[in-house]
Amino acid sequence: MPIDHKRINGPEESVPYELFARLSGITSEKTFEETQSANIRTDGRKFDEQRKIFLKNGVVSQAKGSAYMEMGQTKVMVSVFDPREIPNRSDYSLKGEIYCEFKFAPFSCPKRRLHQQDNEEKQYSSIMKKALESTVCLHELPNFQVDIYALVLHNDGSALSAAINAAGVALAEAGVPIYDIVASVTVGVQQGINFLDPTLSEEQMCQTQLTTEKFPNPNHAVVIISKLPMQQQLCQFHQTGYMSLDQLKSALELLTKTCETIVPLVQKCLLSLVTNSIKP
Amino acid sequence: MSLCDAEKTFILHGVKENFRVDGRDREGYRPIELETNIVQHAFGSARLRLANTDVLVAVKLEIDVPFPERPFEGKLEFFVDCSANATPDFEGRGGETLAAELANILTSAYRSPQTFNLKKLCILKGRKCWKICVDILILECGGNLFDAVSLAVKAALHNSQIPLIKSINIDGDNIELNVSDSVFDCEKLDVANAPVMVTVCKIGDQCIVDPSLAEEQCSVGSVVVAISQEYFSTVTSIGKGSLHPRTMCNSLELGQKVGIRLNKAFMETLHNIQPDEDVGFLK
Amino acid sequence: MSQKIHIRTASASNRIKPLPTTQKCYKIFTPGEVVINASNTNFVRGHGTYEEDGDLKASVAGVKEQVNKLISIRPLKSRYNGQVGEVLVGRIIEVQQKRWKVDTNARLDSILQLSSVNLPGGELRRRSVEDQHMMRQYLQEGDLISAEVQSVFSDGSLSLHTRSLRYGKLGQGILIKVFPSLVKKSKIHFHNLPFGVSLILGNNGYIWISPPIDNKDENVGGFIQNLDEVIPKDIREAMARTRNCILALAENKMMLFDTSIVFAYEESLKYSVAELLLPEAMIDVALLTQHRIHMLEDYEFQ
Repeated sequence: MPIDHKRINGPEESVPYELFARLSGITSEKTFEETQSANIRTDGRKFDEQRKIFLKNGVVSQAKGSAYMEMGQTKVMVSVFDPREIPNRSDYSLKGEIYCEFKFAPFSCPKRRLHQQDNEEKQYSSIMKKALESTVCLHELPNFQVDIYALVLHNDGSALSAAINAAGVALAEAGVPIYDIVASVTVGVQQGINFLDPTLSEEQMCQTQLTTEKFPNPNHAVVIISKLPMQQQLCQFHQTGYMSLDQLKSALELLTKTCETIVPLVQKCLLSLVTNSIKP
Repeated sequence: MSLCDAEKTFILHGVKENFRVDGRDREGYRPIELETNIVQHAFGSARLRLANTDVLVAVKLEIDVPFPERPFEGKLEFFVDCSANATPDFEGRGGETLAAELANILTSAYRSPQTFNLKKLCILKGRKCWKICVDILILECGGNLFDAVSLAVKAALHNSQIPLIKSINIDGDNIELNVSDSVFDCEKLDVANAPVMVTVCKIGDQCIVDPSLAEEQCSVGSVVVAISQEYFSTVTSIGKGSLHPRTMCNSLELGQKVGIRLNKAFMETLHNIQPDEDVGFLK
Repeated sequence: MSQKIHIRTASASNRIKPLPTTQKCYKIFTPGEVVINASNTNFVRGHGTYEEDGDLKASVAGVKEQVNKLISIRPLKSRYNGQVGEVLVGRIIEVQQKRWKVDTNARLDSILQLSSVNLPGGELRRRSVEDQHMMRQYLQEGDLISAEVQSVFSDGSLSLHTRSLRYGKLGQGILIKVFPSLVKKSKIHFHNLPFGVSLILGNNGYIWISPPIDNKDENVGGFIQNLDEVIPKDIREAMARTRNCILALAENKMMLFDTSIVFAYEESLKYSVAELLLPEAMIDVALLTQHRIHMLEDYEFQ
């Protein structure tokens, strides 16, 4: 990976000290067993309960639009800048383009992140771009590019969903024409249980296969969707893991339903933006 | 290449009638040509041709240190190179986004231990493991790249052989590995569960698989489905456009059905390949 | 029941071999090879050749063609060299002031002047400013047209015209691209094939397959596309079969003209349309067609 020599880099590879502690005790199997027997998640939620959401816009004064979102411990900041002409392009394009950059702050995860975008961040950027491409009325921005930057301050699971939600608010604040509010939700699946809006440890648990002797059900996955609720359209869908068709369908149903609950929050946030600015 | 409305209408009506422009039905694939073991310096290789799409995959092995988080597992990495040979659009940084997208989907599809067991690649816990580097070269690009790449990767992994390690000497921090002297003392990789990808393309109100370039242009949204046995290892929407949840369900069903069929046909072909068939396009 | 997925290995047994050559054998020149010696000065240099030290040498690999003193080498694969009066199929790539740019597989983009089209309404009149503004309504980027070469500019680019009711915007159908040298030159390039398909064999290697055109209402030559019309299944099947047959012939480097296509169509009937995508079936159809054409030629000879 190329290294940025202009800044003082931290160590290229770092190992969080928790690893050494974890080897001696807590495993994904144990966490799952406890959760399953208690029938309630470690943070006291039900399986299909979302975390509390805090949403605020206008957090970056110099950006055209910006938003800050908290989902439990996960904290994400998104800013949108003025549309500008597509750089390094000679031919005219009838449709606009979207540029997304998704970045974890170096201190946002248990393991230290580098300043350069790694593959995971690049993948998240492209997923985010995909979600927003179908949201923005690109035909109204011919030959323009909209830049969207998402920065995760604290990653406690579902960071990508939080970033997409916040990006929707930021786009609306920036006055970029969009078809609909965009709502995004993540679900983790393990042993046929859907963990809605998973935390980081739940996300990790859902990405691994538990020991097959104890847990014969091979289903484990993380699914992220983004939806335009009024249009009833899925503008982005991503699943990774291992799951059956029925399981996937049930997760999809749960996700599409949950997307609706985010809409009023976003609407309220956008309304307060207008009412606050009208006041003398 | 851009199509005019009348051509698109023709394709659209064809999909509706379940009779596509080249005579296939909605679930039909174009003929596929496969050859394996064609790169001498690689541990395994395959070339796959699906209509005009041509993909060459080579597997290289390295000894590496496992990730500290997963000391029992080896590594599997994908590198995609969109050669400017394929189309002039790939020149310079042109193919980078596509290459990154392909590599990401493959990584995501092979992530679950159900699809590909990385534990077998571990040599010494936390100290030494095999790292499989899968290099994918796009030689020609004629639509439906995802399906072709996933099949070629599967064939190359099937073709790969891992040298047997006879003994390990540990002397403090120094680890000495003794690889078997005989070239034929090798282990094959198990690819029975390796995912195959199916691109499901929505045209009009129907979904089709294996779209040609012209059909890709008529599509309002596509989903790539990676199928391992009958399970989904990755589903991701690609390209512009959005889908209704019901359409999504239909695409998933179609993708699964075709994926299982494709996997079955492909595994049969893989088992029928005779070793040392001294023919092929690169020989 | 859905169609079978064909996956084959590329072993020697099923690798495509070229068709056996016909009796007529041509000398094939390779680039740099001397075509005419310096001693013979009685020639004019044509395409695909260059002169060095008085010798005429080939610059492409192909066969020699001689028209009186003009000597040219014609390669198998080439861009299209237009000649006045030839029929083309092309795609509009740009709308400009008073003219359209058309992709015709030629070395340079061809040009269709606003003054060389029949405007709707039929009457001949001067092109007004309104017509210029309406240009995109008549033909826009991506549209396909059939046209005739009106003249060749000095730089080799073609000027087209559609001033006949036969020419104009094309409706629903399939476009296939083959090498221009595979399309046999003939007087007629518009064919209504007996199995309910009409065909335009463009001299530039673009072939247009469309449902049969009934010549009752003379609406052709206009700018109207009927997007609501649904083509019936049997015609659609015949069109797809024709497409696959033409591709099979082109793949095996056989000349394309109405008889060869009709023969190929008839020989292909033992396969389903989708089976014609298989290389084995393609070779089989091409072989049988070649055979029948030979028989026809022998018969004519007698």
